[in-house]
Amino acid sequence: MVKAAKGKKKAIALLALTLVSTMLFSACSGGGNGNAQNNKENGGEAAAGNPVTLKVEVFDRGNSPSGLSITDNYLTNFVQDNFGTPNNITMEFVPVPRSEEVQKLNVLMASGSDVPDIVFTYDSGTFYRYAQQGGLTELGELLDQHGPNLKAFLGEETLAYGEFEGKQFALPAKRAHLGKYSSFIRQDWLDKLGLPVPATTEELYNTLKAFKEQDPGQTGGKVIPLGMALAPAQYEPLIWSFIQPHSEEERYTLTQQLGSRDYPTLLPGFKDALAFMNKLYNEGLMSADFGLDEDKKKLNEDAANGLVGFFSEDDMNPFYPDGLYATLQKNVPGAKLSAVDVYSNAEGKHPKPEYAPVGLYIMIPKSSERAVEAIKYLDWMASGDNLLHMQNGVEGENYTLQNGIPVVKADAPEDVKNRIYNQGDMAIISNGKQLGDSEKNVEAYVYGMPEAFHEETRRALTVSRSDTIKPVRFDRPIEAQGKYGTGLLDKFHEIIVKTTMAKPDQFESVYETAMKDYMANGGQAILDERKKAYEAMNK
Amino acid sequence: MREQQASRTFDVVNTTAIFLFVLLCLAPFIHIVAVSLSSARAIMSGEVSLIPVELNWNAYKQVFSDMSMMRSLGFTVMMTVLFTVMCMFMSITAAYPLAKTKLKGRKPVMFIIVITMFFSGGIIPEYMLVRNLGLLDSVWALVLPGLISPFYLIILITFFQNIPDSLEESAEIDGSSHFRTLVSIIIPLSLPVIATLSLFYAVGRWNGFTDTLMYITSPEMYPLQLKLYQLVQNNMVSELMQMEGATGQSMLQPESLKAASVIFATVPILIVYPWLQRYFVSGVMLGAVKG
Amino acid sequence: MTLKGTSYLRRYWQLYALLILPVSYFIIFKYGPMYGIIIAFKDFNFFQGIGGSEWIGFDGFREVFAMPDFYKTLRNTFMLNFFDLLVSFPAPLILAIMLYELKFAWFKKLSQTILYIPHFISWVIIGGIVYQVFGTQSGMINNIVVSLGFEAIPFLTDKKDWLITYLAVGVWQSAGWGTIIYLAALTGINRELFEAAEVDGAGRMRKIWSITLPSLKPTIVTLLIINLGHMISIGFERPYIIGNTAVRDYSDVLSTFVYRMGIESGQYTLATVVGLFQAVVGLIFVLGANYASKKLADQSIL
Repeated sequence: MVKAAKGKKKAIALLALTLVSTMLFSACSGGGNGNAQNNKENGGEAAAGNPVTLKVEVFDRGNSPSGLSITDNYLTNFVQDNFGTPNNITMEFVPVPRSEEVQKLNVLMASGSDVPDIVFTYDSGTFYRYAQQGGLTELGELLDQHGPNLKAFLGEETLAYGEFEGKQFALPAKRAHLGKYSSFIRQDWLDKLGLPVPATTEELYNTLKAFKEQDPGQTGGKVIPLGMALAPAQYEPLIWSFIQPHSEEERYTLTQQLGSRDYPTLLPGFKDALAFMNKLYNEGLMSADFGLDEDKKKLNEDAANGLVGFFSEDDMNPFYPDGLYATLQKNVPGAKLSAVDVYSNAEGKHPKPEYAPVGLYIMIPKSSERAVEAIKYLDWMASGDNLLHMQNGVEGENYTLQNGIPVVKADAPEDVKNRIYNQGDMAIISNGKQLGDSEKNVEAYVYGMPEAFHEETRRALTVSRSDTIKPVRFDRPIEAQGKYGTGLLDKFHEIIVKTTMAKPDQFESVYETAMKDYMANGGQAILDERKKAYEAMNK
Repeated sequence: MREQQASRTFDVVNTTAIFLFVLLCLAPFIHIVAVSLSSARAIMSGEVSLIPVELNWNAYKQVFSDMSMMRSLGFTVMMTVLFTVMCMFMSITAAYPLAKTKLKGRKPVMFIIVITMFFSGGIIPEYMLVRNLGLLDSVWALVLPGLISPFYLIILITFFQNIPDSLEESAEIDGSSHFRTLVSIIIPLSLPVIATLSLFYAVGRWNGFTDTLMYITSPEMYPLQLKLYQLVQNNMVSELMQMEGATGQSMLQPESLKAASVIFATVPILIVYPWLQRYFVSGVMLGAVKG
Repeated sequence: MTLKGTSYLRRYWQLYALLILPVSYFIIFKYGPMYGIIIAFKDFNFFQGIGGSEWIGFDGFREVFAMPDFYKTLRNTFMLNFFDLLVSFPAPLILAIMLYELKFAWFKKLSQTILYIPHFISWVIIGGIVYQVFGTQSGMINNIVVSLGFEAIPFLTDKKDWLITYLAVGVWQSAGWGTIIYLAALTGINRELFEAAEVDGAGRMRKIWSITLPSLKPTIVTLLIINLGHMISIGFERPYIIGNTAVRDYSDVLSTFVYRMGIESGQYTLATVVGLFQAVVGLIFVLGANYASKKLADQSIL
């Protein structure tokens, strides 16, 4: 016993020693760090007239073609030659892995070193956090002084998303296409059964029953009338169509934003949507394993094998080369997929959510000494045809203009095509191709698809833009959403899966339990805060 | 006679059981190979299980013609070897003295080591340390921070403690120094465990990539697993592509390419073990005791 | 210092010299960043850094301990680890002995090599395969079950069935890999012991019980102590990828809880609190296990 105590004492002494040396160590490194900072500043001042360096974050997806790198390619050179050199600025691109962007950015910010002058993220929560903790440069005045083109390009609606407590702390990229979802039906099945395209949810139910009973695809009983997955593109159009008319106040207070999407968990009608899903599930009209299918792999597989009669999906998704539709046509000759708008509400409309008009949140850290140059860079990108060039390459070599829409030259040599392999990550002020108005923007997407699907893509893109619901925006961040959002999204999925898969007579009790769990783990906190925020906003 | 019968039954049951388990372990690997050799249509339709459908070698052609994959393979091998050698040097030098239960001060040192199995500073101070040591974007950032795993160190100590004391004592009587005893007696007797831990360290380094995401920015120093990870991540679902406003074409990599890259990044490390098996000869210890 | 002390040092200085590099390693690379732990007691602000953030004492702990999900994930972590200790811990041991008993050398080597392949397949890929094999609607196993006229088994969506699937996948993935360390230990067995036992007329099981197992004892005890120390920590990927929404009541564990808070919501303070809690409990467990093993098996890792 005595011996053990002695050993422990020694251990503590040794530990203390280690801790002291540790502190010395970190103190030293801290000091050295400060010196370096000072030197840099002095150097910068002393060498006025020498080029300054502007550091810009760039997403690294590891997809650089042979011989190119994410920091040295056609577009980085284009920026250096056309913006950097004329303005006596050396551009430096700082790669950040796309998949770990938030984490790496957090670490860079916390370490206070090597932070680029321009950083960005898709995560609005991260933007709010940085703004709230006082780490960002206020951009309002800078934008007025140095960014007239940029301001005009982004427009008020988009810029509003970059405000925090009334001040401009981020410049959100502008989104070219706001539509999200379309639904798709097997037109050849309808034709075979002599049925019309269903126009309402009720008609859809009857159509699904007919698919199940008459099995027009001759699947041998494997038919899945409604293809479902545990992903927003599948459940959102269905659920939102059940939401009943409600007041402006209810829209603000009863919606819950989880992650980047609005969820109608507390809005009137949500339960009816779940009851409908429960009915479809128990009658065998819907994918049985949808609760496991978060990446839609199973849904895609079933649809491509010609087992699925109807499903909703991200508007363009089925049309990619080698994608769902192409594979379906190979597997089932004569299969025809039509983009349709079916789920309907009481007023006969087809409501579905749309995107906020923003993409990346572009920020300038407070520690940056190059805020002016940073704004100038973004302003340069927004002026003249610089953005067109950065997104599409050289006219005549990379693309040809048809009715004002740049169409990619498919026969361009590989090295010419590779010029713009990273355009999405370099042209940071825009999300998607900007051609002046949304009709043209949409056409650019259409031309990006295989020619045979142009017509159907166009139709899907029209569906996704009609009767849309805009995201609810407060003039201040709802903190509880940042805190509980990701956890609650899991709970929301639990509600859907558990109520849908419940036996009909247990639906009520399952719903009650799941909702209780949801409210206890942050749902109530969000509701309370939104109510307060709504009152404060309307004072 | 009955004993023999029982023994034979045991062998049959045992061999069959192992054989079945082997099949079970092999199947997914064969599945990945099959996917890497199949067409995009067949993969998407879920037709590929263990045999390639619409056989083609395009994915492998693409992997082997990608210079950056080749460079990455070279770098990964170099880094793994460097890491493993340094780890084993450090682990052996630490384990030998710590295996001696009577060594004064052993207990507190062990305590300090065990604590690090549970407590760590977290990602931000670790990044600061690597930066302050000037290791960012160098191979040392991937080698130095993980040099000794307390878990493996304790295993090594356990093995060293099981070497009969008589061997060491006789060496000591012969006037051998501790250094010499370690090199000429302990290490040769411990080859199986040294081979095992080398494998553990090597595989850990080969498969790890999260630190590279933080510490490495130069593409020349991307290990294979990082490239693989990026490939998988880039194969994002449509929703993310749509969120990012991507315009159609070629952002999606074919599944077969993913599978071929998995094979490319796994096979080199898989063949390490069969090669190390030569050190797993029974009776090493016995021979030494007798000799 | 006494004469005795100096002669002790003269005799053993080489051993201490050997420790210099390893101990410096631990001090620099492990204890160097350890000041990060104080994040648990601060309202962490990215821009003021660890030093500049405001002290909040135990507020972070209070907040974590007030979350219903904390207790659920804590319970699940213990539960999954406990079952793993019952099932996945002995599996490699049994497998190693079975391999050791194999008669054909080539088959032995070949099967060892193949058995550890699953360890090299990433969880993302395993997740996809698990879904194909165990799915309710068209999983391979259920295809057979249904064609035999039985009702499909919800391997992945029923909580209890899922637990079995989770354990089975764990054994499959790690048993082969885990044998390696035991096989290394088995090389130390004196073959003459077996011959002597045979002369005494001992059967196969008898020999395994009284020769093979005892020779593995030190390794087993060491691994067991360390495993007990990790009862409260759990890898992120296996429960996350094998788990799904329908079984979240079981599959949601501390590591996924921390992931949601730390990485997805940027609440480093709360994430550090949970980490610190796990560390303290883990240390207590490992010291307790070590003490017990010293008393019961006369073996200690400290």
